[in-house]
Amino acid sequence: MPQSTAEIADLLARTALRDRAAFRELYRRTSAKLFGVALRILKDRAEAEEALQEVYVKIWQRADRYAAGGYSPISWLVAVARNHALDTLRARRPVADDIDVAIEIPDLAPDPEQATIGRGERARIDRCLGELEGDKAEAVRGAYLDGFSYDELAVRHKVPLNTMRTWLRRSLIKLRECLSA
Amino acid sequence: MSTGDESSGSADGDRLLVAEYALGLLDAVEHERLSQRLAIEPELRRELSLWRLRLSSLDDEFAEAPAPAGVLERVEARLFPSAATPRRVGLWESLAFWRGLAAAGFAVAVVAVGFNLFVPRPLPTGEELVAALEAEGSSLKLVAFYDQRAGTVRIAALSGAAVPGKDYELWAIRGASPAVSMGVIPVDSKSDIRLTDALKRDLAPGTVLAVTLEPKGGSPTGVATGPIVAKGVAIPI
Repeated sequence: MPQSTAEIADLLARTALRDRAAFRELYRRTSAKLFGVALRILKDRAEAEEALQEVYVKIWQRADRYAAGGYSPISWLVAVARNHALDTLRARRPVADDIDVAIEIPDLAPDPEQATIGRGERARIDRCLGELEGDKAEAVRGAYLDGFSYDELAVRHKVPLNTMRTWLRRSLIKLRECLSA
Repeated sequence: MSTGDESSGSADGDRLLVAEYALGLLDAVEHERLSQRLAIEPELRRELSLWRLRLSSLDDEFAEAPAPAGVLERVEARLFPSAATPRRVGLWESLAFWRGLAAAGFAVAVVAVGFNLFVPRPLPTGEELVAALEAEGSSLKLVAFYDQRAGTVRIAALSGAAVPGKDYELWAIRGASPAVSMGVIPVDSKSDIRLTDALKRDLAPGTVLAVTLEPKGGSPTGVATGPIVAKGVAIPI
């Protein structure tokens, strides 16, 4: 574990033990990253600021749930921020009533348990996204990094909504095969 | 809309659903429903950690942006209030107060509620119960306060949004008995529920209160059909 990662893990552990100084230091070290996450997904400074506040309240309350289940501490923090921002967006979005668009689902790769985790992950996801067509990889990244919904992705890529759903679902199936290979 | 038939969906369909969940593509109803399944299906959880772990290598791409000044101070002010200012009169009436508490964090909120209601009483009487209702993966948080003498349960939502075409329904579950409906509740205002005699018997310390997402007007069958979006145990104050 790189030194900074170990330090953040330590700050998080001390935060779980209700160490306020550690919490302040954790904020100092990580708030720019988490504000970046909130800003990218919410695309509004005031909302991102509000979200950042909520996110650190959650971090204080839930620090004890960070158990290094393969996640780096910074990924865990990013996940708290990302999930919070997505919850905010989701609460505003309409609920789909055309519940499903049937697509043929081919057999997926077997259970991922044997998959090695932690080594060259970044290279792996880059390679796997690289195996998708350019547009489709962009759509996956747009969903993850920008929090775009199916609707928004369809508009951005100028395809009908159902086409986007089908695209993205097929891409996810391919991606999973590649990621667990 | 179908309810629960997804649980018998194919393993591949489930995996796809989990991938969409990890990316944030599910709408509010689908998201809640899968959250509930994740809570009880370890296989789905394994699948979710796979996706989260793998996708997290994209986290590098979130560019840092210096946080605005004052956020940490506001977080600390909320988490560590130095001087609580007990108010009693009209407290329940102030929606702003409840929303403010939501901001203060849920655990703090419940303690504060307990504290404020408790102040003028010499000893706990066991006649009043309070429950904090929430669930992992759900943004809905409520406080329920039961006044045995008045025979009412008061509900205030601290966070959560109405879902179009759906209603939230409150249930009381005592021990192993089936859940008993306490009716549909709003999430954008406070509400008082007047209890039937049967419900009064059901409400006791340890009774679980749960909220499910149901078709408009509440479950048509009298049995909960939607996912549990918040729950909590009633405790005496």
